[in-house]
Amino acid sequence: MTPARTFGPRLISGLAFGVMAVFFVIPLIFMIVVSFYQPDPMGFYKVDFVWENYAKFFSSFYYKVSWRSLYSAIFGAVLVVALAFPLVLAISDVSRKWQLFWIILLLSLMCFSEVIIGFAWLILMSESAGVPRFLEWVGLWADPRSLSPSFGAMMIGLVYLGFSIVSLILYPSVARRDRSIEEAAVTLGTPPAMVFFKVLLPTFRTSLISVTLTMFVYLLGVFVMPTMLGRPKDWTMTVIISDKALGDANLPLGAALAVVMLIVTVVVLLISALATRGRQT
Amino acid sequence: MTSLRNAYLWLIAAMLIAPFVIVLGVSIGASKNISFPPEALSLEWYTELLTESEWLLAIGRSLFIALCAGIISTTLALAINYVLWRTGSGFAKLTFALGLGPFLLPPIILALGASLFWAEVGWYGRMEATIVSHGVFFVTLPLVIIARGFAALTDEVVEAAQTMGATPMQVFRTVVLPLIAPYVLTGFTLVAIISVNEYLIANMISGFVVETLPIKIFNNVRYGYSPVVAAASMLFVVLTVTGLLILSRVTDLVALFGTEKDE
Repeated sequence: MTPARTFGPRLISGLAFGVMAVFFVIPLIFMIVVSFYQPDPMGFYKVDFVWENYAKFFSSFYYKVSWRSLYSAIFGAVLVVALAFPLVLAISDVSRKWQLFWIILLLSLMCFSEVIIGFAWLILMSESAGVPRFLEWVGLWADPRSLSPSFGAMMIGLVYLGFSIVSLILYPSVARRDRSIEEAAVTLGTPPAMVFFKVLLPTFRTSLISVTLTMFVYLLGVFVMPTMLGRPKDWTMTVIISDKALGDANLPLGAALAVVMLIVTVVVLLISALATRGRQT
Repeated sequence: MTSLRNAYLWLIAAMLIAPFVIVLGVSIGASKNISFPPEALSLEWYTELLTESEWLLAIGRSLFIALCAGIISTTLALAINYVLWRTGSGFAKLTFALGLGPFLLPPIILALGASLFWAEVGWYGRMEATIVSHGVFFVTLPLVIIARGFAALTDEVVEAAQTMGATPMQVFRTVVLPLIAPYVLTGFTLVAIISVNEYLIANMISGFVVETLPIKIFNNVRYGYSPVVAAASMLFVVLTVTGLLILSRVTDLVALFGTEKDE
């Protein structure tokens, strides 16, 4: 092609790169810069270079919050994948009409606002509507109380939120799988549970690990579920970051906490990438 | 085995749908407090939702932001994919990889970065800031979906057009665009739906001025509850599901998200 003809694509690609760089990369870099600034109680921040904001992270309070964020995200991610994988396997076997039903259901849930899902569960676990009232009506619970806010309610919210995403990520590879080995196993009389553990789990080990890590990162960043369904002592790092940045107007501290979270995220993504690559070669 | 499978499917479907059945019940109940099952039916909360100006304003703002963000996202995704498809250059690959980034990071990080950035630029609290950030952060989904469209393009049609003397622009307009249009539309719809539903980023960039529907619902749930929230939630559910149902008429969602196996 003549140079004049390749100028167009270059211009388009330069523009697109520019937009991504300015509105995605620069804000992240700026956030790292702000994490070294001094907080200013009167306004946003004072330009400076201090490690103070990071030093605060190594206090018992943030240590506890980080630990709590990590275990609720890990626990949630494992639970989501454990529930979603069998579902996706089941969906891949039903008729095309029902597959479409499931995809629309899962897509809808993926799109629904965290706010709405949180609100729906809030009602479902309240004492005047939902599960406690149902148990009272059935006669299983004489003195029903609201089930939220609690750690359990928050976990249910997290699992519900992640469920549709994991299912939709796993679905394509599960639906396209080579079925010859499982069919052979079934023909030879292997019990279904054995097929699941000896054939299907090993086949999808890599995608299951990588989707669990993706989910871990996702759940680390959920904001609405802990605030709506959890108690203050269940609040995760995301809530604390937002609280520091908006509530206390301590932007440098919020930025420093977000940078720590960014580092954890990048490490997890790198592990995930390595795990997947090891498999392909 | 089949019955066990179906039982699991039904159980999960019930668990996934149950919360919204309750919300529906609350939204059509006459009681001012949350109660289910409703004792008397009433459409009062829907009337309030669709006549009170603060709710209408929030709905209007959300829809406007979603429309603009959808246009920005799909334009970006289309541009990146087009260049990657035409040149396959390393720079185009890098731009594509950059576009995958926002999906991989926890939204709180994006939200805080964007809010600091817009404060520095001087657009903090403006609707344009929310629109641009939504548009850029949600680029991943249309990027991946439109890439599937380009992957399905065969070289023959393009070569045929070129042999007939079509310029790159003509090839793009008359061959490429019609063939990838369904993918572009899918990407646009998904971004618009996600933007309408998004809370955290919108709230951190301009939530105290530009109150979108999710922000309004959140504030309402936290500081003084009214069943209008249930009606607003149902409106969301209906908008989202309708959008997806229309989409399923236009494109083959099963093929797009899964497989072409049982043809």
